[in-house]
Amino acid sequence: MNITKIRADFPSLEVGNGRKPVIYFDNACQTLRPRQVIEAVQRYYQEFPACSGRSMHRMATEVTREVDQAREKVAKFLNAGRKEEIIFTRNTTEGVNLIASALNWKAGDVILVSDKEHNSNLIPWQMVAKRHSAILRVVHTRADNTFDMEAFEQALKAGPVKLVAMGYTSNLDGVTIPAAEIVKRAHQQGALVFLDAAQTIPHQRVNVRALDVDFLAFSGHKMMGPSGTGVLYGKYRLLEQLEPFLVGGDTVSSSTYETCQFLPPPEKFEAGLQDYAGIIGLAAAVQYIQSIGFDTIEKQERLLNEFLSEGLEEIPGVRLIGPSDPRLRSGIVAFYIEGVDHHRIALMLDQMANIAVRSGQHCVHSWFNARGVAGSVRASVYVYNTLEEAKLFLDSLIKIRKVL
Amino acid sequence: MFCIIAFIVLSILGIFSASNRQLAKEALDCVLRRVTLRPCTTGFDEKMKAKILGYVITRSETGARFLNRYFEPLSWIFFFLLVGSTFFAARGVFLYYTTGSCNGLNQSGFCVFDPTGQNTQFSSVDESCPVTSGGDVVLTLEGVNLSGFPRLTGGANAKPIVFIGSYGCDYSRKAYPMIRRLVQRYGAELIFLYYPVKEHSDYLAKVGYCAYKLDPQRFWDLNDRLFAADKSRLEDEAFVQGVLEESGFNAQSVQFCAKDFQTEWVVKQQLAEVRKTNFYGTPTVFIQNEALIGPKPYRVYAIALEGLLYWLK
Ligand SMILES: Cc1ncc(COP(=O)(O)O)c(C=O)c1O
Repeated sequence: MNITKIRADFPSLEVGNGRKPVIYFDNACQTLRPRQVIEAVQRYYQEFPACSGRSMHRMATEVTREVDQAREKVAKFLNAGRKEEIIFTRNTTEGVNLIASALNWKAGDVILVSDKEHNSNLIPWQMVAKRHSAILRVVHTRADNTFDMEAFEQALKAGPVKLVAMGYTSNLDGVTIPAAEIVKRAHQQGALVFLDAAQTIPHQRVNVRALDVDFLAFSGHKMMGPSGTGVLYGKYRLLEQLEPFLVGGDTVSSSTYETCQFLPPPEKFEAGLQDYAGIIGLAAAVQYIQSIGFDTIEKQERLLNEFLSEGLEEIPGVRLIGPSDPRLRSGIVAFYIEGVDHHRIALMLDQMANIAVRSGQHCVHSWFNARGVAGSVRASVYVYNTLEEAKLFLDSLIKIRKVL
Repeated sequence: MFCIIAFIVLSILGIFSASNRQLAKEALDCVLRRVTLRPCTTGFDEKMKAKILGYVITRSETGARFLNRYFEPLSWIFFFLLVGSTFFAARGVFLYYTTGSCNGLNQSGFCVFDPTGQNTQFSSVDESCPVTSGGDVVLTLEGVNLSGFPRLTGGANAKPIVFIGSYGCDYSRKAYPMIRRLVQRYGAELIFLYYPVKEHSDYLAKVGYCAYKLDPQRFWDLNDRLFAADKSRLEDEAFVQGVLEESGFNAQSVQFCAKDFQTEWVVKQQLAEVRKTNFYGTPTVFIQNEALIGPKPYRVYAIALEGLLYWLK
C-alpha cells in the first residue's frame, strides 16, 4: 500500500501551526488519527448522540447497534471467541486496574512482572501486593533487554504464581516478548496471564485465542483511535468469575435497597454511560488498520527502524536502548547521549524541524532508576512516517550533537 | 540569571499572548527559587535554552556552539543590557509623562508614545529663519516687561503663566483652551502675549491691545472667540468686527483705536518685548520659569504648574 496515500488520510500531518509540517515520532504515546476515525466520532455527535442500551427511541437504537458492531469488530480483530469478551475501557491503565481489583487475591499469591514495565502495569500490582499481602516478583531481562525465558521459568517454579502480568511489547525499547510460550509455561504452572498489549496491538497481528492469553489490554489512542478509549479482553469464563470493578448504572439487571443482580460480562464491567463516540471511533480505527494491513505497517516500521538505528549508531556518544537488531524493536528507537540532557535534545528537535519525540523515562522509571540512567529520547514511528522524515531527524540530531 | 531576563521579556510578551504568560509564570517561579538559592524545578531555564539553541542552530551551527558554551556569560551581558535599556525606557516614560516628549522638555527626536511628534510641534516665528530648537537657545522672561500685556489675575499667591500664542496657529489653538482650563482649575494668573506668526499681520495684535485697553474683562471672551474662530477669516476686518460685537465691544471704537498711530507704536514695542524671551515658536508657555514650546498634553502643563501630584490638589 502506498504510504503517500495513507498520509493523505491524516489531517494533522499537514498542520504546521505556522511552522513546517510536523514530523510525528511520538506514536508510542499516541498516534495521529485518520479522517475515517475523526468522521466516525463526528457522525455519532451529529447523527445519534444518545444513550446506548437504556432508551427505546430511534437514536438510542442506533447507538446500541453501533456499539454492538464495534464490539464485534474488535472481537474479530483480536480473534476473540465471542464479542462479550471485549470490555470497553478508557485506556490500558484502566484494564490493568480492573484485573488488579477484580481478581480474587489471597495472601502469598505471587505476581510476576518484567523489569521494564510501564508504570500502568506495575503500580496496580504494587497496590495489590500491599493490600492483599501478595508478592510482586520482577523477572529480569537479559543485558540487551530481551526476554529471559530461563529466568522466567525459575520464577514460575519458585512459588505460587497467580498471575503473570507482562508488557507484550515494551514502550521503552519496542521489544516484544514471546507471549505464546510465556502463556503456555504459565498455564502449566496454573498461573493466569495478563498482557499489556498497548504497544503491540497497533503494530502486529494479535490472536488472543492462538495465544491462549487470559487477559489482554490496550489503548485506542495508540492505534489511531480516539483519545481515552481502550479495551480489555478476557476469557469469558474468567470474566464471569471476576468481581465487578466500577459499579453502578448499566452493570446490574435489577436492585433492591440491599442487593443487586449483576449483568453478565461485558456489561458488568462497563459502569455508567460510556464514551460511545470513542467506541465507534475505535471500531473505525480497527477497520482502518485492517484496510492498511499489518504487513504494510510492519514493513514500513522495520524500514524506518533499520534506517534510524543505523544512522544513530554512527553518531558519536549515542547509546541505543534495547537490542541492536532493529527488527526486534518494533517502531521504537530509544537512545541517550552521555552527558547531554535528553529533554534538551527533544526541545531542540522540536524547535529546529518540528520533530515530535518523547524524552524522559517514558513511565518506566523503575528501569532507569535501577540503572542510574537519567532518561532517554524516544522516536517511535508508525506506518505514515517516511524515510525523508527519518533522514531529517538524523540530520538534525547530527547537528545537535556537534553543538552540544 | 537567564530566568530573570526571560521573566522580564516574557512578562512583556505575556501581555499579548497566553502561552508567553505561562512561560513568564514558570520564569518567575525559577527566579524565586534562584533567589533563595534553590535550583529551578520546572526545568524552565533548560527549556528556554534548548529552544533558543534550536532556533540558532538552523541559522548558524557555529553560533549555536558559541551560545551553548557561553550561555551563562551571555545571559549576564543581556541582563545588563536589559537593565540599561529598562532604565532608559523608564526614563523615557517618565519624561514623556512630565514633559510630553521621551527625550525631555521641548526636545524633538523620535518618541514611541508620540510618534508623530505632536507634542513638540510649533509654528515657527519666522518661517524663513532656520528653526533652532530648544537646546542652545535659552528662553527667559528675565528683563521682559510684561506690564502692558493682558493679565487675568488669579487669587492671592497666584502663580503666573505667560502664554505666547497666535490666533492663526494650530498649535496655539490646541494649547490655549488647556491653559485656560488650567488657570481656572488652579487659580493661576494668566498673561497673554499675542505674537503673529506666518502670514499674519500685526492687525490682530492691535485689535487685542485696544480691546484689552477698552475693557479688560471682555477681552478674555474676545480672546477665547478668536482662538476658536475660523482661522482663514482672521485677517478679514469685517469678520473680526463681528467677533468684537459678539464679545460686547463697540467694534468701531476698537477699530478706531487699532488704527491709531500710538497703538501701532505700542504694539511694536510689545512685540519687541516678546522677542526678548528668545522664543522661536508658538505656542510658548512659561510656567514656573520653565518654557514649554509646542502644544503639550494637559498633564504636562499641570505638572509644570503644580508638580507631579497636581491631580491631588
Ligand atoms: C506498554 C504500555 N502500557 C501501558 C500504557 C498506558 O497506556 P494508557 O495511558 O493509554 O493507559 C502505555 C502507554 O504509553 C504503554 O506504552
